[in-house]
Amino acid sequence: MAKGVLVDIPKCIGCESCSVACKLWNELEWDEQEKNKTAIDRAKEPNNGLWPEEWTSINRYDLEKDGESVARYVKAQCMHCEDPACVSSCFSKAFQKLPEGPVIYDQSLCVGCRYCMMACPFDVLRYEWKKAIPGVRKCQMCATRVANNQETACTSVCPTGAIIFGDRDQLLAEAKKRIKENGYVDRVFGEKEAGGTSWLYISDTPFEQMRFRTDVTTKPLPSYTEGYMKATPFVGVGWAAILAGLYVFNNKGKEPLD
Amino acid sequence: MASKVGRVKSLSRRSFLKFVGGASLVGVTLNLTGCGKPITPDKAIGGNGWMPTQYNAPGNWPTSVRGRVPIDPENPAIVRDDQKCILCGQCIEVCEKIQSVFGNYELPIKKEFVCVNCGQCIQWCPSGAISERDDVNKVFKALADPNVTVVVQTAPATRIGLGEEFGMPVGTNVQGKQVAALRKLGFDVVFDTNFTADLTIMEEGTELVKRVTGELHHPIPQMTSCCPGWVKFVEYFYPELIPNLSSAKSPQQMEGALIKTYFAEKKEVDPKKIFSVAIMPCTAKKFECQRPEMNSASKELNDSKVSPDVDVVLTTRELARMIKRSGIDFASLPEEEYDKLMGTGTGAGVIFGTTGGVMEAAVRSAYYLITGQQPPAALWNLTPVRGMQGVKEAAVNIPGVGDVKVAVISGLANARKVMDQMKAGHAPWAFMEIMACPGGCEYGGGQPRASSPPSDEDRNRRAASLYNIDAKAKLRNSHDNPEIKQIYADFLTAPMSEKAEELLHTHYVSRADDFIPKKSEENKLY
Repeated sequence: MAKGVLVDIPKCIGCESCSVACKLWNELEWDEQEKNKTAIDRAKEPNNGLWPEEWTSINRYDLEKDGESVARYVKAQCMHCEDPACVSSCFSKAFQKLPEGPVIYDQSLCVGCRYCMMACPFDVLRYEWKKAIPGVRKCQMCATRVANNQETACTSVCPTGAIIFGDRDQLLAEAKKRIKENGYVDRVFGEKEAGGTSWLYISDTPFEQMRFRTDVTTKPLPSYTEGYMKATPFVGVGWAAILAGLYVFNNKGKEPLD
Repeated sequence: MASKVGRVKSLSRRSFLKFVGGASLVGVTLNLTGCGKPITPDKAIGGNGWMPTQYNAPGNWPTSVRGRVPIDPENPAIVRDDQKCILCGQCIEVCEKIQSVFGNYELPIKKEFVCVNCGQCIQWCPSGAISERDDVNKVFKALADPNVTVVVQTAPATRIGLGEEFGMPVGTNVQGKQVAALRKLGFDVVFDTNFTADLTIMEEGTELVKRVTGELHHPIPQMTSCCPGWVKFVEYFYPELIPNLSSAKSPQQMEGALIKTYFAEKKEVDPKKIFSVAIMPCTAKKFECQRPEMNSASKELNDSKVSPDVDVVLTTRELARMIKRSGIDFASLPEEEYDKLMGTGTGAGVIFGTTGGVMEAAVRSAYYLITGQQPPAALWNLTPVRGMQGVKEAAVNIPGVGDVKVAVISGLANARKVMDQMKAGHAPWAFMEIMACPGGCEYGGGQPRASSPPSDEDRNRRAASLYNIDAKAKLRNSHDNPEIKQIYADFLTAPMSEKAEELLHTHYVSRADDFIPKKSEENKLY
């Protein structure tokens, strides 16, 4: 069963337990500069506070709602697309979508071309520019924990249940129920975006005001090129066969070269 | 072709290139068609770290302790170091169960994190991730400035806490050494907050008598207002009970206001050049001194250049840090005396530092204020209000008034229960003392951290030390303090006079609009 995470934005109190849990579980290094940034600082940065050692971050947006100013805390991390563009763009198969939901990355297969970063519609991938042998970094949705029937590190520590882990189908139903009950914006971000994502967001404030990419296509990104890209093996094998045939034909009856 | 491969030596450049080209083409084709080993979760980056055991439960199973409390980066009193946090959840335990703040508001949050700045989370945090906002450098800067007169006051409870930072047994009284250390650090004048604790008793006691006799049209019971955590708690959760709060300022703010007016006038110091520091066992005091209304000296002197009444509040731990940083050998310091004018406190003032102390001090002076006679010795040992129980009740017989019922509460969860009763109409008391921290100031958020989790054993030892100081004191009633008599004669005229109202009394603001109050227990979201 495909797993997912539901983020109920109004229920977040901004304690940032999730980002600490992520740091602990993934043994990510602490950066003095990043550590001292606040959720308000991060919301002003172009990259949502995501860095090679910050796989998830909380951003605070001060908004207007019903004539009152309110603050909303939004968690940023990899959305774990159902049909991920990073996976399809990676020719060395360093990325893979697991049937349980996580989109994982194996650095030993990576050649460092960064096509995945170009492909990602949500701009969550980060390259380790400072390292001698760099790789790409992003949330792995605690693949080993999920495979072990445990929930992700971040959801396990959330004190208010603002992020909950579960089967994606059930979470989607729960999200729709909550939208109706609480009068949220009638949109589950991640239901259809980029062909659907494992992470689902619901909110009572407009998504576009919280730097969500609301104009993203609902078509799975790989489907744009799938039509002709799937001919590649046939072209490749066919081309090899033609060249081999020509070779054999050209060398018929000739003495081998020394 | 096979024979060719066997004879490597004769491999030509041309056939080698052909071989490599063919192999790559096959490789790319195989890759694109999906052949190759799929990666498994254990090959993914990360995922080898550590998590507290309670979070390693399968699925979305509720665990007993989760996460941590939110702390605003702008919080004037409390800061957190994420790198030290182990997500053990102890801060949530104390904030929700003991102080009844976390979880007592509905989500979404409106603007600010509901926080009374009490700092109990600091005492409970096992990894030192939460601590007070460090203001030590501000004080060092003021001390280095020769044009500034740095005046310091020390709270009743710091003298029995500070020694622990230097390896002394829990509850050691280091009053004299503390004064000596402050002088050595370069503070120009060292005052005792016990003096204004006595002054608080005079003001608050007079107010109580006026409320009881009906001269002042404010509701009964009167509730103490010395604890800034408690005051903020009322402002958040019980704004309808704000009229019950005594209008008297806390001793810290009284001392601060008087330093920049009374002291400045008497010693002919420019109030603009006074830097007023308070050493407190408390983190909420850091918030209190920044409240906009705590600016009486500037208002009284009609000079906007006079800084707030108390410029900086340091916790006991920060003072210890200053002493250590300056390389002072604390244990070998001589015992010194506080400066005169506002440095004399009575035994009644010193027991402000523990739960029940304010009540005991108030009862002694209320007896005097009502009857005009000295209180009987029994009131010097009011055992029903002593001890670490969360809610204590007592009845004191005062001739002419009869039995006066009083209540003493420490810990905000206990206060919440009593406040709910009060709202339901059950309030037989005339006077209530409420302290945010369990045990009172002696185990406040700014006191030295014990090597063990907070316990009543440590609280009792610190309290016993305070009661011991009281028992040995020459003067045990606030109204007997000679400096109190002097300040009323020379400066304030009488308790609750116009000038006293201006400098020593304050008002409160409702904070009910800053959050959505919890609807009901059944409706609890988390």
